[in-house]
Amino acid sequence: MPSSALELRNVSKVFKKDRDEVRAVDSVNLTVEQGEMVTFLGPSGCGKTTTLRMIAGFELPTGGTITIQGRDMTNTPVNKREIGFVFQNYALFPHMTVFNNVAYGLKSRGEKDAAIKPKVLAALALVGLKNTENRYPSQLSGGEQQRVALARVIVMEPTLLLMDEPLSNLDAKLRIHMRTEIRRIQKKLGITCLYVTHDQAEALTMADRIVVMNKGKVEQVGSPFEIYSNPQSLFVADFIGQANIIKLTVEAVVGNDIRALLPGGRTFTARGLRPEGKGADIYKVGGKAALIARPESLTVLSADDPNGNAPATVVSEVFVGSHIEYEVELEDHSVLKAFTPFQAGMRVFGEDEKVSIWIDPSNVLFLPESST
Amino acid sequence: MSDFTKKKTERTLMIKKDPVLFSVLVAVWLSFAIFIFLPLVKLLLVTFFVDGKLSFANLSNILGRPYNVRALYGSLILATAVSFAGTFLGYMFALAVTRTSLPKPLKWLLSAVTILPLISPPFTSSISLTLALGPNGMLLKAFGIENLNIYGFLGTWISETLTYFPVAFMVITAILSTMTANLDDAALSLGASTRRMFRTITIPLSYPGIGNSFLLLFGASLADFATPLILGGHTFPVLPTEAYLLITGMFDIKGGSTLSFLLLVPALVVFLIQRALIGKKSYVSVTGKNGARSDFARLPKELSVIITIVCTFVVALILYLYFIILWGSLVKVWSVNNSFTLDHYRYVFAHGKKAITDTLTIALYSTVLGSLLAVVIGYVSQRKKFFGQRFFEFSSMLNYALPGTVVGIAYIIAFNERPILLTGTMSILVAAYVFRYYATGIRSVIASLQQIDPALEEASLSLGAGSVRTFTHVTIPLIIPAVLAGMRYIFIHCMTAISATIFLVSVRWTLLTTRILESMTELQFSQASAFSIVLIIIVFAADALMLFLLRLSTSKFNRPQETSYAIVSA
Repeated sequence: MPSSALELRNVSKVFKKDRDEVRAVDSVNLTVEQGEMVTFLGPSGCGKTTTLRMIAGFELPTGGTITIQGRDMTNTPVNKREIGFVFQNYALFPHMTVFNNVAYGLKSRGEKDAAIKPKVLAALALVGLKNTENRYPSQLSGGEQQRVALARVIVMEPTLLLMDEPLSNLDAKLRIHMRTEIRRIQKKLGITCLYVTHDQAEALTMADRIVVMNKGKVEQVGSPFEIYSNPQSLFVADFIGQANIIKLTVEAVVGNDIRALLPGGRTFTARGLRPEGKGADIYKVGGKAALIARPESLTVLSADDPNGNAPATVVSEVFVGSHIEYEVELEDHSVLKAFTPFQAGMRVFGEDEKVSIWIDPSNVLFLPESST
Repeated sequence: MSDFTKKKTERTLMIKKDPVLFSVLVAVWLSFAIFIFLPLVKLLLVTFFVDGKLSFANLSNILGRPYNVRALYGSLILATAVSFAGTFLGYMFALAVTRTSLPKPLKWLLSAVTILPLISPPFTSSISLTLALGPNGMLLKAFGIENLNIYGFLGTWISETLTYFPVAFMVITAILSTMTANLDDAALSLGASTRRMFRTITIPLSYPGIGNSFLLLFGASLADFATPLILGGHTFPVLPTEAYLLITGMFDIKGGSTLSFLLLVPALVVFLIQRALIGKKSYVSVTGKNGARSDFARLPKELSVIITIVCTFVVALILYLYFIILWGSLVKVWSVNNSFTLDHYRYVFAHGKKAITDTLTIALYSTVLGSLLAVVIGYVSQRKKFFGQRFFEFSSMLNYALPGTVVGIAYIIAFNERPILLTGTMSILVAAYVFRYYATGIRSVIASLQQIDPALEEASLSLGAGSVRTFTHVTIPLIIPAVLAGMRYIFIHCMTAISATIFLVSVRWTLLTTRILESMTELQFSQASAFSIVLIIIVFAADALMLFLLRLSTSKFNRPQETSYAIVSA
């Protein structure tokens, strides 16, 4: 049986800061299969970069094991791991030409000059940088430098490609272009890739699977679709896309469904999620549950519309072209976002107008209140 | 117990994990032990042990003589006066260069003139002050002043201030030019007058530079040996010259080492204060994201006037003093027979040839060895983590922080007997230079490494290169400019040093600076001038060569990097 490309078992990293111990990475477990593209997503300081740097070997874990293709690499020096690392600021050697930058690893490996040249040229061609090999990095644009950094790594045919926010120094348009470029090259070479980002759009569009991290721990691992539609915690729900989190009192638990009381007196029923590792009875009648509703699952209706679930007042109304972004206030003073697609001739509600909102039950779900 | 074993395993781990680092550390510590700690310990032993017993007899003996007490006070008063005057002049020059609308060539002239005292032998201004204001002085005659006595506090103070204010100028310029002009704009837009802005914004923000320059000048003046020897006279004794006279004149090693201990204490205090201050300093990095760049606001009018007067006067004085030296080296008998002659230069090349070649040989050896050691120490203390790191850094700088006289006396005590008998050899001179002046190299390397992203080295490692290959192929090429800049200053220091080496020269190895001193004490002013001019020309030529190499090493990948003297000396 072929072993996984990468296995992390209880990997932790503890830093000492002014005598206090900071658990930067806390018991992370993860298995990555051959050829997979996995992104690490989370706010700054969540431990995603530290995890990547431990996989690379720049830092040694305080505890746990790191296995790359079946071999325990926990304490192996970085230059013996055969990984490729792409840095946020490219880290191109400024005193070497593009050619020598890309050839650097091959030369370190002791390959012959004759063998090196075609490989370097092929790698540069793959990233779309023909005829730049005699230039110095400072003569290239940011996007081109990033491509050189990529070529420098893939020419080594690494077992693992590790990328640390590689696009964050590029402007928005180039970033979107490079996303698809990187994905194309990764798929073409079938290379296993771990990709750290704090940009959720990047994570959602590029990844086979996303690892959402918060405060050193893995919150959820799943495909972009799973992460978006079935967040396992309030943190994930809030961090990925926009979500309204409404705390409600549970009236009844019927199978997988939860019925809860909305402000204004009506009840509302939707699926209740039971995050892994928590007991079956996490929802209690009379207790609280958090309703997770994306803005596009809320529709603003006139106050007397019979479909309305709860009465509300419009706080603000912004027309952004494709849709209208409302902020409405419920009777318990919680403020929700509701995005209604714009159609010619539709009714637009103004500030302070009394309305009602309709919540699409098939697109929302309950989470336990404390699952932050 | 568990703590102890944990430490132990950590240390054994280091041998295994990073054997290169381990052996480098062992070697460097060993060299520190021999060339930094051994002399210092021996100096203390000679001072505090009489007949094998701990005793303060030497100290009370020395302090019992009023003349020595006067020397102690003299040193402290002189150092304070020089720091004040030098920092003031430095601030004026720094303002002129960074905050006024003087034309570019004029600013260049200001900076160029301040370089002169830095690269000249330490006697230059003393010699020319003597020629201008001493007995039969040119200026005295011109103005018909009869009875001005340049010897004593006044002459020493003027000469040292002129010699050391360039250091203040560079340190303060570095601070003033890193401030952003937006702060000026903000103050003015909030309704402050330029005067108020200067008082409440510019001055407070330059406190670190002022403080640092004050400490640097205090230390420099405290350690200065050449100027008071020539200009101090009998009325104004200071510690370094007294120690020198005790040792060379009366062969009183105990008295000399006790005096240098008295000198060591304030120098060490200054060094420790400086380290504490720098430790808190946050590094201002140039991000290039400043947006629209605006110019600094104009200075208040009366201040501009003062700056103009002060700078013009000082520049004129310095140029005049150097002109005197040149003139003095080219006329038959100073102030008596003003006909042109090259005799003094013939004398220099006939009788001083050995001094020239010796000085160059020793300076070259010291520069190469010093900068190699500086690269290793700078790299290790910036990029590696190991046990006792702060003490390591502190130790490496110790000989530089101590006055040269102290180091010189400590060296003759330590290396005068077996097993390490170095007296009279070239090694003792090279060792003294290396472990004193590599400090500028270390600082330059550290400053440069701080600007180089560690990701570059990580990139090399992740591409499969080992730590040695990473060091030689990535780190070294990137810090070459800084190494060359460090070499520049090491070389200049080695060519112009006197205070430590005056004790270490011998018949076999002699130096240009000691030849100048000999000429001065024999009242051969013209020869002294000619020696000085030759020395200045050599230093200039070498400096130009180094600068050329520096340009060459940076132009390849468009990475402008000038490590300024300010970083190096601060």
